Amino acid sequence: MSIDFTQLAAQELLARVQEHSATGSRLVQISAVALPVAAAGDTPSIELTYSFDKDGALRHLRLTAAPGDKIASISGVYFPAFLYENELHEQFGVHFEGMVLDFKGSLYKTAVRVPFAVAAPVRKTPPAVNPGEPQAK
Amino acid sequence: MKTTIIPLGPQHPVLPEPLSFDLVMDNERVLEAIPSIGFIHRGLELLAPKRDFEEFVMIAERICGICSFMHGMGFCSAVEDTLALPLPKRAAQLRVILAELSRVHSHLLWLGLAADAFGFENLFMQTWRLREDVLDIFEETTGGRVIFNIVKVGGMRKDIDDATLARIAAKLESMRPQLKQITDIFLNDYTVKNRLAGLAVLTTAQAKELCVVGPMLRASGVASDQRVGSPLYAGLDWQVATEPDGDCYARCRVRVREIFQSINIISQVARGMAADGIAAKVTGAPNGESFFRAEQPRGEAVYYVRGNGTRFLERFRVRTPTFANVPAVVKLLKGVELADVPTIILTIDPCISCMER
Repeated sequence: MSIDFTQLAAQELLARVQEHSATGSRLVQISAVALPVAAAGDTPSIELTYSFDKDGALRHLRLTAAPGDKIASISGVYFPAFLYENELHEQFGVHFEGMVLDFKGSLYKTAVRVPFAVAAPVRKTPPAVNPGEPQAK
Repeated sequence: MKTTIIPLGPQHPVLPEPLSFDLVMDNERVLEAIPSIGFIHRGLELLAPKRDFEEFVMIAERICGICSFMHGMGFCSAVEDTLALPLPKRAAQLRVILAELSRVHSHLLWLGLAADAFGFENLFMQTWRLREDVLDIFEETTGGRVIFNIVKVGGMRKDIDDATLARIAAKLESMRPQLKQITDIFLNDYTVKNRLAGLAVLTTAQAKELCVVGPMLRASGVASDQRVGSPLYAGLDWQVATEPDGDCYARCRVRVREIFQSINIISQVARGMAADGIAAKVTGAPNGESFFRAEQPRGEAVYYVRGNGTRFLERFRVRTPTFANVPAVVKLLKGVELADVPTIILTIDPCISCMER
């Protein structure tokens, strides 16, 4: 299963979001995923997905950001976006420029800095344990 | 102009959970409200890559104690989508029944809290007394009153036999007169109306602009409900409850109507239960990504899962209804009297546990 999305460059974001706003679409969510790196030492990147609802159908815009990249805030177009952007800033370390309300890293006050920014290691499915066989402790 | 900042929360008599607003005041009037959250943020989403996807249902259910079933169901539905796993009809029907029971108990909980907030404590007590009957149904059928552990990827863990379902439907029908008596007070009492009507109006245009969800959106005249078009609700006779006024009273009316509507839905489903099993066999592991939207009592919740073909998800995220509704409160509080602030915050039915998943 996959979803349909439009891949964007960061500088296209604001214009495309304004197009959605002009059609009366509702901002449903903004989320991020830390992408796994191909090899140790590679720079990790963050994938951002912006979802909009128009007449019950979901449309997604997607872009990829590297750590330290500055992404334009869409909170000037969709006011509620400030909450998503502050969350993503704290969890993934993404920097948004021009947020209407900037918590400056104090939204969640997490003890661990940018806890979601590192991609989850790919874990293999553990082998099935034979019934009756003693399990290692 | 001299202003004063009054911190409201995180501990406040009308806030059942920690949410805080710094209210910039000019005398008794709010000029600006700055929200603070994060007092109980748990980072549960970060556990998804560390737990087998079938076991993670237990964690998803623990996002919230009020909508626990709905969170489990939403997570399972998103995973089932990535697995292209069809659900047996009986499992889908059981999910609808438990989801609607959750809505009844959540709305009764809210009505009680609202009554308490505007100082009608006897009404609070009577509303929660009725809510206990719904919790008793949960306990009888699932073994739990808060966390049910009855939903799983592919269907349900436990069945509820047809005789019990008929008895539950009859029980809910028998509660109607008492529910009507109590909800009539919310809808007609002079004091209640006086505290809620015309307060914190969100017009249809504003509701759309602020991207609010659930009863808050429907109380502004927008017929938006994720149950419409959902295969789980196909063939059922029900209509989206909307109110045109957009004020606190309209939000109360929507929730009252939805209580009776949920009882109707449960009765309809219980009359026509299928007998095709309660769970499909799960083979393979999630590969790909999916967004699933569920209509929780507080509004649309969005579940995102992304799998990589192993039994450990790469990412799970939930956007809860309160997360979508809090920005609107920032706007709604501007210009209101201090005494109305707790009531307004309460009418979005904030669930901080969900928000701080």
